[in-house]
Amino acid sequence: MASVQAETTAAEATAAPAPLLRVRGLKTVFRQEHGEVNAVNGVNFDVRPGETVAIVGESGSGKSITAMSILRLIPSPPGEIVDGEIEFAGRDLLSLSEEEIRLVRGNEIAMIFQEPMSSLNPVLTIGQQLAEPLIVHKRVQGKKAIRERCLELLRQVRIPDPERRLDCYPHEFSGGMRQRAMIAMGLACEPRLIIADEPTTALDVTVQAQILELLKELTRTRGTSMILITHDLGVVARYADRINVMYAGRIVERGTAQEIFNSPKHPYTIGLMESMPRLNQPAGTRLKPIPGQPPDLSKLPRGCAFSPRCRFATERCRQETPELTQLSAEHWKACWVDIDEAV
Amino acid sequence: MKQSDVLLQVTDLKVHFPLGGGLLSRRPRGTVKAVDGVSFHVNRGETLGLVGESGCGKSTTGLAVLRLVEPTSGKVVLNGQDITAMNRRELRAVRRQMQMVYQDPFGALNPRMRVLDIIGEPLVVHKLTRSKAEYRERVYELLNLVGLNPNMAERYPHEFSGGQRQRIGIARALAANPELIVCDESVSALDVSIQAQVINLLEDLQKQLNLTYLFIAHDLAVVRHICDRIVVMYLGRIVEIAPREELYENPRHPYTQALLSAIPVPDPDPAAQRPLDPALQGEVPSPLDPPAGCPFHPRCRFARPECSQRAPVTVDLGGGHSVACHLYDPAVAGSAAAV
Repeated sequence: MASVQAETTAAEATAAPAPLLRVRGLKTVFRQEHGEVNAVNGVNFDVRPGETVAIVGESGSGKSITAMSILRLIPSPPGEIVDGEIEFAGRDLLSLSEEEIRLVRGNEIAMIFQEPMSSLNPVLTIGQQLAEPLIVHKRVQGKKAIRERCLELLRQVRIPDPERRLDCYPHEFSGGMRQRAMIAMGLACEPRLIIADEPTTALDVTVQAQILELLKELTRTRGTSMILITHDLGVVARYADRINVMYAGRIVERGTAQEIFNSPKHPYTIGLMESMPRLNQPAGTRLKPIPGQPPDLSKLPRGCAFSPRCRFATERCRQETPELTQLSAEHWKACWVDIDEAV
Repeated sequence: MKQSDVLLQVTDLKVHFPLGGGLLSRRPRGTVKAVDGVSFHVNRGETLGLVGESGCGKSTTGLAVLRLVEPTSGKVVLNGQDITAMNRRELRAVRRQMQMVYQDPFGALNPRMRVLDIIGEPLVVHKLTRSKAEYRERVYELLNLVGLNPNMAERYPHEFSGGQRQRIGIARALAANPELIVCDESVSALDVSIQAQVINLLEDLQKQLNLTYLFIAHDLAVVRHICDRIVVMYLGRIVEIAPREELYENPRHPYTQALLSAIPVPDPDPAAQRPLDPALQGEVPSPLDPPAGCPFHPRCRFARPECSQRAPVTVDLGGGHSVACHLYDPAVAGSAAAV
């Protein structure tokens, strides 16, 4: 078993660094009275050691459900991961027992959520909550050792006056401080992968910038991989190495930040770029919205889910679902139309 | 500017909220100065942006302009009529001229009412239609105006997506033919592809109906897109007012500069990013206990002794650009203006 694994790792290493996380054919559905909602519908992507991979998409695109599926945090029922593989550092997370996956959560893979207030326990001090993963996963013992480590964590996320802050309750913290505390908790066990789900959406723009800079610095210096889930293309451009664009439960385009922003190839990505007011375009330029509404995930159209809103759609688009195909080393798209010819 | 071109004039507006002393004590524990002496005007047909971070008082200013919260002091003059001095009946008449579009398209519409009655409510309140047929006719016209199909009139809000609900909210705001519309984060909750649809709709309606917008938002890219002039607020006060281009190209107040540097630019080229202001640490202080002097001084890299002692006066820089900062006050020794 070990030798087989070593062989595949060596073979992959010649092409690209072996991924830390490998997601293949992931399908997550939610069963409701009115039928099945295909929240994640066949998603493939990798996260390599040390890189920040973004998953961007609008509400209902399945980006958060993808993240929650990785840690098997899907509430069941009604949700269920019905198909796919999630391989993390050589292990298939979907075949782990409940006990085993608990040892991965917060330890090897940490998650940072959007709303720090509802993710923190209001009746425990910040110190108590920071200590929990240390005691459970790292078996740190002794009050003094635990306190020392907690203080160190608060200093790393630059919470001022950490001695006093350790004994505070979450409601005594501001929004930005709570998110810093969440990050400290995420870092406590020195995870290899951090999943940040809209980590700054609830914060003001000046605080958002501080938090994102902090995350970038902490992941770079430790070589931690990160999945950054967001709807904000500005955030993605500044902080992601590679970008996955999701629409209606599928990845429709993937590439480096340069490729996605400078030469997008999927009509949906192009539409997103044109919908966005930009600071570097002449003021008063008319926006070009994507027409129509996002699809109902329980009644997905035949073929490409974007085809009803797509100005390039052909008959084939309305019949067959396109798979992700490679355009260049890092650039992939799931679309039948050759944009460069169609324009 | 001719006086008649000013639709809305706000002068030294203050909104202070007493803080209750809790269950057993009636004595207030203090005051939150949500809006603390704000003056600006909105010209007819323009879009004035009101921006700032949470707690800066931008939404309270919007509500006070419509007298949906009572101003503590100051004056709000719409079309030459002082709204702050009106009684309820007079106010009802003048409210026709000013309407609001809210942020949350899910919370702002009554789930038990049909779209027909949601949009038609202002017509009933202000007695604007004489017959059932005329009422229905007007609602259909409004639905068309915001790009919805009149056959949707019999449906309920839950049957609509976020973008469609925001269109319904806009149709309701337009029902009484207002002159001024206060848009409080009206596009913030929408996904970017839908947000662009609603922004374009607001722009088209403005041209078509000669509307004036007070556009309250925190997204500075959207504000730059839609607004002619921009007011920047911080902790209940105005720190800078300038025409759009001037504000984004030549921000003067250290807070405005920091705010603009923090916007993530959707371009991976590092050269396209504004360098992040390294001095911008910390967060907006609690409005319960604002810093003395200039409220921004604890976070300001240019702060000097007088900044913590005296509130800065507003300095007119010309061309419609004004700033409230000691750096630009010729009366303060060592200010940029004095050098």
